Amino acid sequence: MSWESIIPNVLAGESQSLAGTAPAAAMDNEQFAAFYARSARSLWAYLARVSRDPGLADDLTQEAYVRFLCADRPQDGEVAARRYLFKIATNLLRDHWRRPQSSSIDEIPEAVFAATASEDHSESVAMLGLAMAQMRPRDRQLLWLAYAEGYSHHEIAQITGLASASIRLLLFRARRKMARLLRDGGEA
Amino acid sequence: MSPFTCPRERELSTLLHSGHWPRACPDDLHTHVASCRNCSDLVLVTGALQAARRHTVELPRLEPAGAIWWRAQLRRRNAAIEKVGRPILGAQIFAVAMALVVVAAIAISQFGNWSVWFSDLPGTFHLTALIPSSMSENSTLWIIVPVITTIALLSGILAYFASEKQ
Repeated sequence: MSWESIIPNVLAGESQSLAGTAPAAAMDNEQFAAFYARSARSLWAYLARVSRDPGLADDLTQEAYVRFLCADRPQDGEVAARRYLFKIATNLLRDHWRRPQSSSIDEIPEAVFAATASEDHSESVAMLGLAMAQMRPRDRQLLWLAYAEGYSHHEIAQITGLASASIRLLLFRARRKMARLLRDGGEA
Repeated sequence: MSPFTCPRERELSTLLHSGHWPRACPDDLHTHVASCRNCSDLVLVTGALQAARRHTVELPRLEPAGAIWWRAQLRRRNAAIEKVGRPILGAQIFAVAMALVVVAAIAISQFGNWSVWFSDLPGTFHLTALIPSSMSENSTLWIIVPVITTIALLSGILAYFASEKQ
């Protein structure tokens, strides 16, 4: 008797498999492709801007979607699914920073973003890159989620795992520092 | 009013995220932003980050969704197999433990018969010729130890191949 005959549905990915996971059928291949097309670029942008490493963003984006598909994800709409995806990505980033590395994430240059910017944007993008480089990773996360993605404080707390009450103060400080850096041309 | 917020910040934030700033806004809000540090910071930072987002989302060369879907299915499948295999592994460990207990019980109960049999063994197979003459006093021990070692070695090899096959 083979494993396939014992657990056919599990192996085909057609039914619930792991304890506590949602049915895979909740999002089929085509639905996932549509969701991926709508959300992948913004997720990549978040990871790339916060980590300042486009290569790492490539890897973590893929891993975030694989974990998203394997996990017990929320079933209450795309907004919640998207938020859950950002939460997975944030945890992956945190895990990456915790691992011992040969080089610090803060040493990776922002040049890749500036180099690919159009002439209209190059100056502002380069300035933002310099300003982002001066910020702590957590501040970059908070700023991006709040002002680039437009998440509320409550949603940011869910994504980052920080206390909801502290988000306002942390964002205020990060925003003030970022504004000062932008006014100074990105120089500390 | 909190020192970290301005009463018009929420209104301004909504306008910024809906794209209505600066053209579709009342004049008094423009005047307020010019005089309020919180709101001017908000406009500056939001504008910069939204511009960076518009630029950055055009950069990635994303992997096809199908490849990610397939990888997730593979991972779920492997996790499912591992989950199903976990109790089987437990049963195997239990079976081995029980077998060892039974063997030990038999060995203890039959120790008297086996010691006689082992003591006769070197003479039966003429193995005493292989033992150095200086060791002849402990000849039984010199037979038992290699035999048990060989059995243990063969058992280990069998267990290894069985686990590899599984």
